[in-house]
Amino acid sequence: MNMIPTIGMETHVELNTNSKMFCNCPVVETEDPNISLCPTCLGLPGALPVPNLKAIESITMLALSANCSITNNGMFHRKNYFYPDLPKNYQISQFDLPVGVNGSLEIILDEGIETVEIERVHMEEDTGKSKHKGSGRIDSATSTLLDFNRSGVPLVEIVTKPVIKSSKEAVSYIEELRQLVIDLGISEGKLEKGNLRFDANISVAKEGDKELGVKVEIKNMNSLRSLEKAIDFEIKRQTKLIESNEEIIQETRHWDEDKEVTSSMRSKEGSADYRYFSDPDLPNMILTDEFINNIKKEIPTLPSDKRKKLIDTGLSMSESNHLGKSEVWIYDLYLDTQKLTNDCKTTYNLITGELQGQLRKAEIENLPEWVNSERLSEIITMINDNKISFTSGKEVLTNLIQNEINPTDFAESNNLIQENDFDEISKIVKDVFEANKEVVQRIKDGEEKLVGFLVGQVIKSSGGNINPSIAKDLLLKEL
Amino acid sequence: MNLSNSSISEINKLYKNKELKPSEVYEEVFNNAALSESIIHAHLKLFQEEGIAASKLSDARFAKGKQLSQLDGIPIAIKDNINLKNHETTCSSKMLSNYISPYDATVISKLRNSGVVFTGKTNLDEFAMGSSTENSAFGPTKNPWNPQHVPGGSSGGSAAVVSVGSALASLGSDTGGSIRQPASFCGVVGFKPTYGTVSRYGLVAFASSLDQIGPITNSVEDAKIIFNSIKGHDPLDSTSIADTSIEIPDDKTAKVGVIKELMEDGISDESKNEVEKTIKLLEDQGNKVVEVSLPLTKVALSIYYLIAPAECSANLSRFDGVRYGSREFGETSYQMMENTRAQGFGEEVKKRILLGTYALSAGYYDAYYGQALKARSLITKDFENIFKDVDYLISPTTPTPAFKFGEKTENPLEMYMSDLCTIPANLAGLPAISIPTGLSSENMPLSVQLMSPARTDSSLLKFSEKLENLISFDQRTSLLKEMK
Repeated sequence: MNMIPTIGMETHVELNTNSKMFCNCPVVETEDPNISLCPTCLGLPGALPVPNLKAIESITMLALSANCSITNNGMFHRKNYFYPDLPKNYQISQFDLPVGVNGSLEIILDEGIETVEIERVHMEEDTGKSKHKGSGRIDSATSTLLDFNRSGVPLVEIVTKPVIKSSKEAVSYIEELRQLVIDLGISEGKLEKGNLRFDANISVAKEGDKELGVKVEIKNMNSLRSLEKAIDFEIKRQTKLIESNEEIIQETRHWDEDKEVTSSMRSKEGSADYRYFSDPDLPNMILTDEFINNIKKEIPTLPSDKRKKLIDTGLSMSESNHLGKSEVWIYDLYLDTQKLTNDCKTTYNLITGELQGQLRKAEIENLPEWVNSERLSEIITMINDNKISFTSGKEVLTNLIQNEINPTDFAESNNLIQENDFDEISKIVKDVFEANKEVVQRIKDGEEKLVGFLVGQVIKSSGGNINPSIAKDLLLKEL
Repeated sequence: MNLSNSSISEINKLYKNKELKPSEVYEEVFNNAALSESIIHAHLKLFQEEGIAASKLSDARFAKGKQLSQLDGIPIAIKDNINLKNHETTCSSKMLSNYISPYDATVISKLRNSGVVFTGKTNLDEFAMGSSTENSAFGPTKNPWNPQHVPGGSSGGSAAVVSVGSALASLGSDTGGSIRQPASFCGVVGFKPTYGTVSRYGLVAFASSLDQIGPITNSVEDAKIIFNSIKGHDPLDSTSIADTSIEIPDDKTAKVGVIKELMEDGISDESKNEVEKTIKLLEDQGNKVVEVSLPLTKVALSIYYLIAPAECSANLSRFDGVRYGSREFGETSYQMMENTRAQGFGEEVKKRILLGTYALSAGYYDAYYGQALKARSLITKDFENIFKDVDYLISPTTPTPAFKFGEKTENPLEMYMSDLCTIPANLAGLPAISIPTGLSSENMPLSVQLMSPARTDSSLLKFSEKLENLISFDQRTSLLKEMK
């Protein structure tokens, strides 16, 4: 029997605002504990929250970019639960009136586009950090150290509908979301720093079942690799249980990075009843149409738009996806150059492969201003017109990165222009045939792979300045 | 001259004319405190040295003719749920008995900048939950008119210190009547401004959507002076509003409504009598007085006892022994939090936390808290409609004069009833003032309450001042007379 897994993702994105969500404390990146604190983010008696406008602009931009409907008259709610690193023992979050609802995100899956539906995008504040000693968990720790630097840092939670079908799709979704927040400039988007943190809700049902299976939430996946492994593990675990007619318990499970298994986690407060109610310390979050329109104007080109534009130039889906995720200047340089060359593949290869690689190798951080689309297109046109080989093109590029040169002049003065004269090449081909009669015979007997050897000989005898494809054509003709 | 009962403006005049010094006034109120504290226990802490130092600085300013404001050199007491930097804020709770605030509440910064001399922190019902100060973990405050009677609550200490002259005025907080009810019980003026006109930043929250800081004073004029210095939008309080004083008639052209439901059963004849006497004064002056009906005032108490506990259940969650306050040992961090809360909170506070937690629980929210929110908005609408017809509403401040200790402790519902007349103004966010009018048969003070539309605080104070001038009420308590 076929089992159908269904996955929903809950992702927290830490915004890159200067100050925290409800106070003026700077958001800091440090190992020194408890240095960025005030009465509000420490939950002192009498302190009150004041919302960070920049954070609300950021979440609105994200919600709009994820095609959500924006809630004009939203609200902050209190989510009540006790935990030592939650200073007020309630988290200011959103409940039934989040900033964005019913959105979607286009992702890439196997050279195709899939749409992941987004249920909601909401604003909340982060908790502090606990360091448990003597055990990984609070109940068995001998002591716990608390650091409240992170307390009150603005977080956006993005919740998908249960529409993801595989671990691969989940990974692709996170990659897309990560790219989106980076391109929008609202988060650093670094997984290793915890800028993006995700939980997965996984259920498995028999094919044809009308209802989804029992939902299990997986926490503690710190990388895309662990996300993929944890989902695969959990799907297998649930599938086995169903096949052996055992019950799946609705629970939260912890991904163990070392053992590569999920294990049952004790819930925070029995069965969690968060007793949400609107926070009386905060007025309604009114997002006027004017506010929303102003944010719309500031949205840069989105990853999905970039991809579309690149596909339109002739690149494949994966090439477009790759280039779309590159820094903006690479993307822009490609588009400008492609416009001049009217060629996608060579332009793509030269810019994403060669140019980026050579810059990295030479440890050049900023592209020299003379390495522009005009000069690059000159190189690419020479390659495409068979005036120089791709290898020679790379050589021109290497020199262009170092010095402000004219690519055509450089190719000519450095003897890189290749022989395209048929008669001349034919002569060389004949010479090579004479010198390698045995090989020619073997090719005629069926050893076709030896053609390459002959092509090499032709190029060698010409001193390298010969167009290999013409050489090959002539060789085959001669044969 | 009896300084401790003099008005702020009179004293300010004497300061300016160099006929009197702030340090002399401070000395007198401090002496009053020293004499009265053992009897009434109104202060939890007296800032003697700090008070002397501050009053001397004020002396120097007046000597140079550079007063900071009309409140410069005026000794004011602060309810102990309002944060004063580097002083304890105990909220009369064992939970915070050792807690020292690292910051000033906005109202404190404002008063500090006005040159106010802080006399000390005053007693209250634990976390402002109660109507008699019997819920203070540090023992109750006694009524200066008769120590066998309660001073009211929760700002019982703040009302008693003004009444006994150990401060010229005080700040209280009012969630369901906690300024007006004790002011009425102690024969002084208590004013609860429109919700949001005074910043709550630094006021330890009980029920955030209802809490409002306000003055307790000897006169309406004093209340006005203090209100004007503490009001205004505060960037640290998102619910605070800009000062938009909407004007309504404040003279004999003003139309006054008597709330029918607050002149019926449950209200003592003595309390009703004070309202009727006041109506007569207003009518003689030329004001039109009509009867109006606000049927929902009958359920206001029920609404209040769902909304306030619900909010308090979350507001008081932060007291867990983790970061500050008292801490009880526990095997795990959760047990530590449980033990801390079990030992740190008093019975009334626990009762309300439980009630509020229940009202917000899954499956009960819609039936309790959700319903209460809807009913609250209906009350607000009812008030809006009534204020289309009348400018002010009049009622007793309390159903009875101050009751005796222990009289209502066994019957919480009866205790809650003492806030019957004051709660509606909190639910609707309206300004309301309690003005003493006379004495009961047992010689305990009685008052009337005036309410007006939201943001008409200035007009309400002007109208109240005129009314106060029509009333002859001797504010001197027997205790104060004895002390002289």
